[in-house]
Amino acid sequence: MTGLAPIDGLVVLAILAKAIGYSAALIAIGGVLFSFIFAKRAEVSVLHLARKLAIGAALVGLAVLAVRFGIRAARISGMGFEGATDPMMLGFAWESPLGNAAIWRGIGEVAILALLIPRFGQWIAMAGTVAVAISFAQVGHALGEPRAALAVLLVLHLLAAAFWVGALIPLRRAALAPAGADLLHYFGNLAAGGVAALILAGTSLAWLLSGSATALFGTAYGLALLVKVAIVTVLLGFAAWNKVRLVPDLRAEKPGAAHALRRSISMEILAVVLILLATATITSVSTPPVNL
Amino acid sequence: MFKQTLLGLAVVVAPALAFAHSKSEATTPADGAAVTEVPELSMRFDDPMRIISVSLTSPDGDVEIERETGMDPATEFRALPLEELEPGSYRFDWRGMASDGHPMQGSFFFTVTE
Repeated sequence: MTGLAPIDGLVVLAILAKAIGYSAALIAIGGVLFSFIFAKRAEVSVLHLARKLAIGAALVGLAVLAVRFGIRAARISGMGFEGATDPMMLGFAWESPLGNAAIWRGIGEVAILALLIPRFGQWIAMAGTVAVAISFAQVGHALGEPRAALAVLLVLHLLAAAFWVGALIPLRRAALAPAGADLLHYFGNLAAGGVAALILAGTSLAWLLSGSATALFGTAYGLALLVKVAIVTVLLGFAAWNKVRLVPDLRAEKPGAAHALRRSISMEILAVVLILLATATITSVSTPPVNL
Repeated sequence: MFKQTLLGLAVVVAPALAFAHSKSEATTPADGAAVTEVPELSMRFDDPMRIISVSLTSPDGDVEIERETGMDPATEFRALPLEELEPGSYRFDWRGMASDGHPMQGSFFFTVTE
């Protein structure tokens, strides 16, 4: 297999930490966007849940950021876990693009905590979401060429993904109350545009990083990406089913509609977990074909 | 469960070597080469690579080498064996970090003949 790095325990740990970091960032950004966009349409309890999730996710994100430095230091040191606390190795990790990304992400996640401040706090949190999204363009495969295009596409891809991922748990709550049906319907209309942006940006990124369709077959990067796309397709299937069938059922107050919709959203959440694991794997252990 | 999913996703066919983020890579001795003497060990990278740890092992264990290249990112890495290498098979391993922050590792093999 071309372009696959050796995999050991530290790499598995690095992938898990990265996937948790992705989830935290997406839920934090998404929670802020949700409470902003649906401020007038969602019930107080649902908005409250979205904010609570954003704050919790921002805190988890900050903790994971620190852990990832340790894992990175251990991986580059060749000393195993002892390297995690080695000042010189931590210094190398800090000097690398991971340091830049950490500054953006750390500031962004702290700014998202400003949701705790009434009124103007949400504006600080909104600025924070942009900083967190930008942080992802500071490190890894996004540093390739054409850099500006990769950065813009990645930030767009992330904001669209966060809008969707961050809304899942609040929407699952909203499905419990009859008034939630309108919110779910409205979200479905907005999400259609969001999903289009997500797919467009994702496809463009894959194209720029792969260089050709043939590179998707026979490289570790390409195969992992195809696995990710397959799970995304399943996720889109659930989302489409919700939009055309389950949400209209809920609005028509059909018996069992709320239960069916909540179960479907749970499946979406599971698909998102798998997608984030696939993404963390792709960005950790494989090389984009253009770099091979 | 997660770990299995992860390994499944990673499509691990073989512990292939990824010289990621560095398009071409040449080593001295060349990978798989049979040589009579090893005056130096070197690697060349497309992009500056920060080489952090290196080791040379023979079937008898670790062989002492002296680094000439420091820990700063460089496109060329050099190290010297402290003693003449006995005939046998050798493996050179390195770990480091690419300029985009990715942790990197790699290895090459060579044989010293009489």
